[in-house]
This record gives sequence, C-alpha cells and structure tokens, in this order.
Amino acid sequence: MIGVVIIVLVVIAALFVIVSGLWVARALIAAISTNGSLPDTQNHTDEQNSEQDDSRIKNTE
Amino acid sequence: MHSVFSVAVVVTYVVVLTFVAWRARAAREFREFSLARRALPLALVFGSLAATYVGPGFSIAFVGRGFNSGFLFLGIGLAYSAQNILVGLLVAPRLRALKNCHTLGDAIGQKYNRDCQVLAGVISVCVCTFLAAVMAHAGKVVLSDVFEFPGWSSVIIVVGVTTLYTTFGGLRASVITDAFQFSAFAVLLPIMLLFVLIFHLNGGATVFAREAIDATTAGFGSTSSIEIIGLVAAFLLGETLIPPYANRALASRTTRISRNGFILAGIFSMAWFMAMVALGISARSIIPEGTGEDYVLLKLVKLVLPAGGYAFLLVVLVSVVMSSLDSLLNAGAVAFTQDIVKPFVELPDHRALYIGRTATIIIAMIAAAVVPFVPSIIDGLLICYTIWASAILPALIIGLWIKKPRPLAGILSMGVGTVVAVIAIICLFVFPSLIDVPAIIIPALGAALLAYVVGHWIATIREERK
Repeated sequence: MIGVVIIVLVVIAALFVIVSGLWVARALIAAISTNGSLPDTQNHTDEQNSEQDDSRIKNTE
Repeated sequence: MHSVFSVAVVVTYVVVLTFVAWRARAAREFREFSLARRALPLALVFGSLAATYVGPGFSIAFVGRGFNSGFLFLGIGLAYSAQNILVGLLVAPRLRALKNCHTLGDAIGQKYNRDCQVLAGVISVCVCTFLAAVMAHAGKVVLSDVFEFPGWSSVIIVVGVTTLYTTFGGLRASVITDAFQFSAFAVLLPIMLLFVLIFHLNGGATVFAREAIDATTAGFGSTSSIEIIGLVAAFLLGETLIPPYANRALASRTTRISRNGFILAGIFSMAWFMAMVALGISARSIIPEGTGEDYVLLKLVKLVLPAGGYAFLLVVLVSVVMSSLDSLLNAGAVAFTQDIVKPFVELPDHRALYIGRTATIIIAMIAAAVVPFVPSIIDGLLICYTIWASAILPALIIGLWIKKPRPLAGILSMGVGTVVAVIAIICLFVFPSLIDVPAIIIPALGAALLAYVVGHWIATIREERK
C-alpha cells in the first residue's frame, strides 16, 4: 500500500515538472516571436508598472 | 547508426539554442545588459530561477544521493524550497521596490554606504567566479564522459559557448536561453523517470518502496545529526539570493511577479527533488551497488535508454550546466561594473556596457582556469554557500527590514563573516577528518550575526554621544 502511495506521489511530481517545462516553453515562444522584446499584456511601460507596485508596497506598509 | 543519431540530436540542440540566443538579440544599453529593462514576465522569471538553481548539484548529485540515502535528501532539499518561498514572501518584493538598483551591492549601498557596496561587490564577483568554476567542472565531467574529450577541451567548449551568448545578450539572453534549457530538462528528465518506472522497475511499487526504505535507513545510519543540521542550514541559507537570483528579482516586471516567481520556484523545487531522488532509488535495482554518486545518472541512462541515449543525456546535462553558468557569468560581470567600478568612476552607458561585456569574458577565463582546483560538485557548492551566507545575508536581510541600518554593522558583518568562512574552509582542507563540510556554515553565520549586532550597538552609542 505504501509503495503505491509513494509511486503516485512520484508520478504527480514528475507530471508537475513536465507541465512547468511546457508552460515556460510557451512563454519562451511568445518572447522570441516578438524578437525578445518581452511584451506587457496590458501595454504598460516598465515605469508605469514600477510606480503601481511601489504605491502598492507603500500602502501595505 | 547510434553515432549518427547522437550527432543529429546534438546538432539539432546547438542549432535551436543558437536560434533562441539570436532571437534574444544583443543588449544595446547597460540597463538591458544588467536588468533586461526590468520587463521579465512571470513564466520567464520562474523558468530562469529554476534553470539557474537546477545545476549539476540538484540533478546529477541528487540522483546519486537518492541512490545512496533514499528520501533523506528530499527532506533536506525541502529546506531549500522553504527558503525560496520565504524569499518570495519577505525579501524579493522589497528588493524589487528599490529604485535604480541593478545588484545586491546596489541594494546594500542604498541601505548602508558606498564602502559596504564595494565590499559586497567584491564578495559577489568572487562567489560568482568560483560557482562558475564548479559549473565548468561539471560540464567537463559530462562532456569528457560522453565524448571522451580531454578535460581542458570540454571546459573550453562549455565555457566558450556560454560566454559567447552571455557577453552579447546580457541578462535577456541569459533568461531566454535559460527558459529554453529549462524546458529541455524539465520535460526530458521526468519522462526518463516515467520510462524507468514503467519499463525497468522489476517488482513494481513494492520493490520501489522496499528500496526507498532500505536506502533512507542507510542514509540516516551513515549521516551524523550535526551533518544533517549543517546540510539543512546550508540548503536553507547558503544559496539565498546569490547574485543571479537577486538579478532576476530586480529584473521582474513588477514586485508581484518578483514575489510569485520565487514562490513558484520553491514549489517547483519540491517536485524536482522528488523526481531526482526517485530516479536514484529506482536505479538501485538496475545498476551495481557501490557506483560513485556522480556517475549514477550517467550509468542509469546508459543501461536503460534506447539508441542515442547518451546524446539525450548530453542535451539534458549540458542544458543543466549552461543555464547555471550563463547566469553566474552575467551576475558576476554586472556586480563588477555596478559595485566595483561605478562607485569610483563616472561611466557613460556605452562604457558601462563595454566593461560589463569585458568582465563577462575575464570572469569566464578565470573560472575555466580554476576548474582543476574544484574538489567535487557538492563540496564546491557548499564552500561557496558558506562564504555567501555568512558574508552577505545578515547585512542584506537585516538592512532591508530595519529602519536605520548602520554602515559599521554592515562592514563588520560582511568582513567577519568572510574571514571566519575562509578560515573554516582552510581548516577543512588542513584537517579534513575533523570538520564536516556542511557544518562550517553554522559558526561562520553565527560570527557574522554577532559582528552585526556589535557593529550596530557601537554605532548607536557613537550617535547618542554626538
């Protein structure tokens, strides 16, 4: 019984790793299809993103 | 037939990697070289973090440890997962929120003063260079074993190819090629595990469980309590925010991405350790007992995979090595430019970019020259972790959290931590029978923390007198 439990956990871990690899591969294809420009899905500039985040951190502090 | 297939696999891999590196394009300014314009999305931050920490230590060595010690090393590895999650929750967002910050040295400089930044820069460059030497050593082991090349030519191939794309593309090229390499080994190694479990595990789940229990019992029997405590401390603290990880935290598009990238990387490491240890345990019923730890994965692949198996292994392991090596070269070069040169010289952007590129090449050459002196993969990593944890972590983490960090405390903590760690490492080589490698992190870290408290106390008294 314990053997089956261990094997199931190992298989779940292996599948999780594979899915992670495929997810990153998808992001990689998106990045290189835009010539490495790493687009923002909301069309925000880096500065806009940083300012939004900084204000969020200040609010939580 | 086998050799034709092997060559085809390797050539395809090199062509795709070259295409990916080319599409990552050359960095045109220092901000792009050092921080990829702070535009990295979550999947790439996560993939790059995971690709950087899954080096030969977390793949080849973990399979070997699973073979000899069963699930003992899974338990120890969970300390590393916890560390990543804690960094994501507590440190990475604060680091990302700092303005005009390219490196950890920058962060320390902003919190303390310029002297602290320069000292942090020197420590960062040295640690990155020696870690790069450990990765180059692992690359040499793999290439020499598979193709029977002489050691020096294997080092030149691995270091040369990695240096080429890191020098021109900077962090962006490092992250994008990391994502490619991560996808390669994160898909191929677990598929190999499933292949072994389905086709080569004679006796099924019962035999696997028995081997796991036997190996884990043997592991606890052969590892002292102090060694286990030292290993947990090393995994919990040793690799915390080493320069390549800090660069990824700083280069994330938002603070939320920075936090989630580390949390996801921590969760991923649990599954990864489980898969690697399981590969080692399943190898116990396939390859001979007494096989050296660093060769368990190589022998397993040789025995169980069909034609071209070794080429397959080469692709996976070279990916593992190169994805860690490129991150270390870039982080060392950025730390050199930003923390050692820039505090003393006013640099226009194109000059900073030139220095960063030159530093990448010089660090790579030094790392290649140091390869013959690397003891073993795990020992080499543990030595670097000891120096890094004791020299940088107390000053960095306390500095990010307290309101008014004192420069004297930062300098004392970094100086004492480095000196105690180096003395402990020298003692390790002079009296190898008396000291365990993993245990030396504890006194070194304790001394650094004590020095920080003393420095803070002295500085506070001085301020009150004024």
